[in-house]
Amino acid sequence: MRRKLGTRTEVELDNGIAIEVKNLKKSFRLPTEQSFGLKQAIFNRLRGIKGYKEQKVLRGLDFDIKKGEFVGIVGRNGSGKSTLLKILAGIYYPQAGEIVINGTLIPFIELGVGFNYELTGRENVYLNGALLGFSNAEMDAMYDDIWKFAELEQFQDQKLKNYSSGMQVRLAFSIAIRARGDILLLDEVLAVGDAAFQKKCNDYFKSLHENKQTVILVTHSMENVREFCDRAILIEQGKIVMDGDPNKVADAYTEMLGIKK
Amino acid sequence: MKIPRVLNRKNRILLKELTKTDFKLRYQGSVLGYLWALLRPLMMFAILYIVFSKLLKIGNDIPHYPVYLLCGTTLWSFFTECTSQGIQAIIARGELLRKISFPKYIVVVSSQLTALINLGINLIVVVIFALINGVAPSWSWFLVIPIILELYLLSLGIAFLLGAINVKYRDITSIWDVLVQALFYAVPIIYPIQMVAGTSTLAAKIILLNPIAQCIQDVRFNLITPETVTTWNFVGLPYAIVPLVIVVVILIAGALTFRHKSKFFAEEV
Repeated sequence: MRRKLGTRTEVELDNGIAIEVKNLKKSFRLPTEQSFGLKQAIFNRLRGIKGYKEQKVLRGLDFDIKKGEFVGIVGRNGSGKSTLLKILAGIYYPQAGEIVINGTLIPFIELGVGFNYELTGRENVYLNGALLGFSNAEMDAMYDDIWKFAELEQFQDQKLKNYSSGMQVRLAFSIAIRARGDILLLDEVLAVGDAAFQKKCNDYFKSLHENKQTVILVTHSMENVREFCDRAILIEQGKIVMDGDPNKVADAYTEMLGIKK
Repeated sequence: MKIPRVLNRKNRILLKELTKTDFKLRYQGSVLGYLWALLRPLMMFAILYIVFSKLLKIGNDIPHYPVYLLCGTTLWSFFTECTSQGIQAIIARGELLRKISFPKYIVVVSSQLTALINLGINLIVVVIFALINGVAPSWSWFLVIPIILELYLLSLGIAFLLGAINVKYRDITSIWDVLVQALFYAVPIIYPIQMVAGTSTLAAKIILLNPIAQCIQDVRFNLITPETVTTWNFVGLPYAIVPLVIVVVILIAGALTFRHKSKFFAEEV
């Protein structure tokens, strides 16, 4: 039994459009009762029980993102933002619809992907770099800058498990910002470190904005939406309910949450 | 998965770095570290040698029997390590699959590359033992390489097939553990195939149709003694190609299953 699926294609075109999404749908099969394992699977099949519930997460999204746009995606928990981002990143498969990615896309679903506690800071930097697509030689070239930016030079040869969580995030962020691609996908990575480090992050985002980098940012922070975004998309229950001026979207979202400004 | 992209620059970097990490982590925190990769098969060999050769007096009529046995256990360790690591790979790297997008076969291959490196080092030990034992070096030793490739492709096919199913049905891991135990006795590693042939020629022929048995016997034939009974010289054509057909079928079935299921690994793992 093959499910018909949507498509995600990567192209290199010069048409000013970075991402095109048409009628994107996604649902997950959530196991109803304990339906892992072979025994339960056979039982379920014999009894004609599906063993899962269809949870519709995205119910048909349509939007285009132009090159050089800094787009914020906002919405409540469980509205489908992260699922959307993961589909754009190619991690999840689109169930229906069409996605065209124009150019190289660098996703940051989480900082420090692949970080391993048993390895030293140095080894983790190279590992994480490889996951972002950097070769050893490229990593060598930017190695010192990474540590300098993270302000952790003296901990290079310590195992990662001896780092505080703040230190880990700083290191990860410091590697992440080296990544160069036509499109950046960022999921909630702004909230890291202390106030001083936060400033560095904000400067980085400002520089992305000024350099006309195409960015898609999933966030709960309306300050960030107002400050950096050219455009914002509000998602509610797997549908786009608003798409446009970041200030208006931020207002609508705040109102939706029922919080007084 | 388009063919030209399979080993592009980014994937190569990823494969290399993941293999390095696997390798480093496997022996982390143990005093003897990497030596364990050598010690484990050697110890297994020592036990089997004492029990089967010394106590049960099996294989005394085979020339260079200790090396013959060591060669078998080395290849067997490689096969079990390769398959069990490969089957586990997707789950072990689940965290990664949920965070970045890359061809999923990379985690399977990288987990097996460590086993390949171990095999390389263990084969050097086998060669040293062979030389000490008085086996004359020969050009036919190089024929071992394509045979090991065949054994590896079989492991890869099994890892693709079972690893893909294992993501949803974790029972596979346990089933495979038991199956491997059974397979160990179905392959002439500790007993010489001549022993089986003495009772039933048909049984011996069937055993030799197993690709694992075929590979092990062929390696022994080329590396240790041409007196080894192989699928080729014992079963003969046309059935001698059965092991090869099995390898190809498993590899193709594994690759197709893996390719289809890998789209949903990130959601299911």
